[in-house]
Amino acid sequence: MTDWTLSRRTGLKAAVAFGALMLASGGVSAQQPTLKFGLAMPLTGGQALYGNDQVKAAQWAVDEINKKGGINGKKLEMVLLDTQADPQVGIQAVNRLVSVEKVPVFVTAWSGVVKAVAPIANDNKVVELSVGAASPDIAKLGDYVYTTFPLADVDIKAVANYSVKDMGKKRAAVLFINNETGIPAAAVYRDTVAKAGGQIVASESYDQKATDFTGPLLKIRAANPEIVHLQGLVSESPQVIAQARQLGINVPITSYSGIYNPKLIEQLGAAAEGVIATSLAPGVGDLPAVKEYVDRWQKEVGRAPNGLPYTQYLYDAPVMIAAVFSSMDKKGLPMTGENFRKEMLALKTFDLPLTGKLQMSEDHTVNKPVYLVEVKNGKWTTKAIVGQ
Amino acid sequence: MLDLAIASQILWTSFATSSYFVLFALAFALVLKVNKVFNFAQAAIMSVAFYCAYVAVRVLGLNGFFGLIACFAGGIATAIAIEYFGFAKLRTRKASPMFVFIFTLIVSQFVSYVLMLIFGTWPTTIFPTMFWPVSLVGGIAISAWDLPALAAMATVLVLLWAFLRFTRWGQFMIAVADNADLAELYGIKKDRVMLVSMAIAGAICAVGMFLYGTRAQVQPSAATELMLFAVAATIIGGIGNLWGAALAAVVLGLVQNSSILFIPSAWQGFMLYAFLFLAIVLFPRGFHWPERASKLKRKTVTTLPASPSEANGG
Repeated sequence: MTDWTLSRRTGLKAAVAFGALMLASGGVSAQQPTLKFGLAMPLTGGQALYGNDQVKAAQWAVDEINKKGGINGKKLEMVLLDTQADPQVGIQAVNRLVSVEKVPVFVTAWSGVVKAVAPIANDNKVVELSVGAASPDIAKLGDYVYTTFPLADVDIKAVANYSVKDMGKKRAAVLFINNETGIPAAAVYRDTVAKAGGQIVASESYDQKATDFTGPLLKIRAANPEIVHLQGLVSESPQVIAQARQLGINVPITSYSGIYNPKLIEQLGAAAEGVIATSLAPGVGDLPAVKEYVDRWQKEVGRAPNGLPYTQYLYDAPVMIAAVFSSMDKKGLPMTGENFRKEMLALKTFDLPLTGKLQMSEDHTVNKPVYLVEVKNGKWTTKAIVGQ
Repeated sequence: MLDLAIASQILWTSFATSSYFVLFALAFALVLKVNKVFNFAQAAIMSVAFYCAYVAVRVLGLNGFFGLIACFAGGIATAIAIEYFGFAKLRTRKASPMFVFIFTLIVSQFVSYVLMLIFGTWPTTIFPTMFWPVSLVGGIAISAWDLPALAAMATVLVLLWAFLRFTRWGQFMIAVADNADLAELYGIKKDRVMLVSMAIAGAICAVGMFLYGTRAQVQPSAATELMLFAVAATIIGGIGNLWGAALAAVVLGLVQNSSILFIPSAWQGFMLYAFLFLAIVLFPRGFHWPERASKLKRKTVTTLPASPSEANGG
């Protein structure tokens, strides 16, 4: 009996100690309410190189928000799932986010995935935020699909207008890849140049599988343009520029965000001088926060992020979501997709740390300034900011 | 738009860039001739060769010579592995040619995915810079890449010709190409010959990829696209005819690039498929050069009947 009493007493003590331990550690945090959002990105597969860097950026933002006290004392929780940048895998991931995790909003990227999961968002009244995909169709995917990233034609229009009006280059030529990346963008470029008072003296395309670009480049050279716009892919654009310079085309060459990376300068050396690209996010020289962000990458990861502008948008996505959650929480609104959508459109404008001001439009597009960057003395330097 | 300066430039650049296409076509045609395989796994050999050179030069910081050695090592090792672990086993199991063909497609895609997982999809080159300085010769821009590339192609062609013509293994390969079972009856080990044939194809691919990767960017799926040109050249040049395939690769490149003088640039890529379509429809068993046919005919021994009655069987 004594043994039993001792044993019971010991048990009670143990229970009290365990309870105290739980209160002091995980027990409290487990009960602390969290506000969840989903993130469906490629963590494996061919696009994982970019996907993982973008996820890291988003995670840094979530950690930063929580370190500063969370959202009105509540922790922001990011539920991360892999899409492999594959529509089918993306559908599985988003189904889980919506049905199991019950998130009111999720972030995803890559046009194929964004489009494939849109019906799930619309049917379940859960907000889908596309962050990084640029297909113009994204604006027409339904009531619950929004983008925080400017869609395709914004930067093409900006660079065409700037070439004619600010640089005074009236005779323009356009060289484009014969696919969905090149054809519509080249049409936008031609129209914009014409409207701005310029003249398209040559419009040439090349095949997706082409490995030599002499023919179209010589036709362009024969037309004697003052500026050449190149709308190609990252895989062949450096070679096109190299061949253009080899063939004596020394006029400025403009392009879009696809060629904006340090490798272009390394690959082309002096031939890269005068190449103008676009960026839809401020660069290191434009915002101190971006410099700090890039420095952090160098310090913690030992390199710059792959696709820097995209990671900036991914960093800003949780910040924007936290602002909407905060407003909903203060108003005591239930955390549903419907309420998130209403509140997001009501707030409309967001000041974001790495990409600047974001204005959500009713037509599901966003207006952002376009940064024109030029290779000067072997470095990408900001040439102009259009549409500020 | 027929301008002499433009036409000359296009002809020169097409000729220079045909160097790697000739090599890819030669490797494909060699395996088809000796091993009797439509080897789409050549894309895997090409990709591995390129990434070995890339690792040697860009990752390990070795110079271009070691990059070329690594390229050879990667290309030859992959080719031998495909023959030893794939084709030889499939021959032993008497797999149908269609099954072997499907196997080559699977190997090509498998290696492409593995390389994608290791190196990502970002395109890259063997050397950090891909810009080659140019010299103007008679108004034609000749880059510092052009002449070494053409010299490399010519060297490979001469070496292969000499190997097939003067070495014992070369003659074994021709014997196996003509009739593998008969060659075996004469004591030639066809499996070894086919292994040598694949190794040589791997080495040729390595030279081609080294040239290509010093001029243009490569990503894991790039070799598959480059292969199409080699297939077209082999079919047009005459199946089983190595030199015909090499010549067809040069002519195809010239015709495709010069076509821009007469047709809109958007139609340029269409030319290759048009040629391929016509070659397959008109020559479903492959194009055979008339010279070769007549040569064979001359050598054929025919026994003429001694008298009309003999001819009638009486």
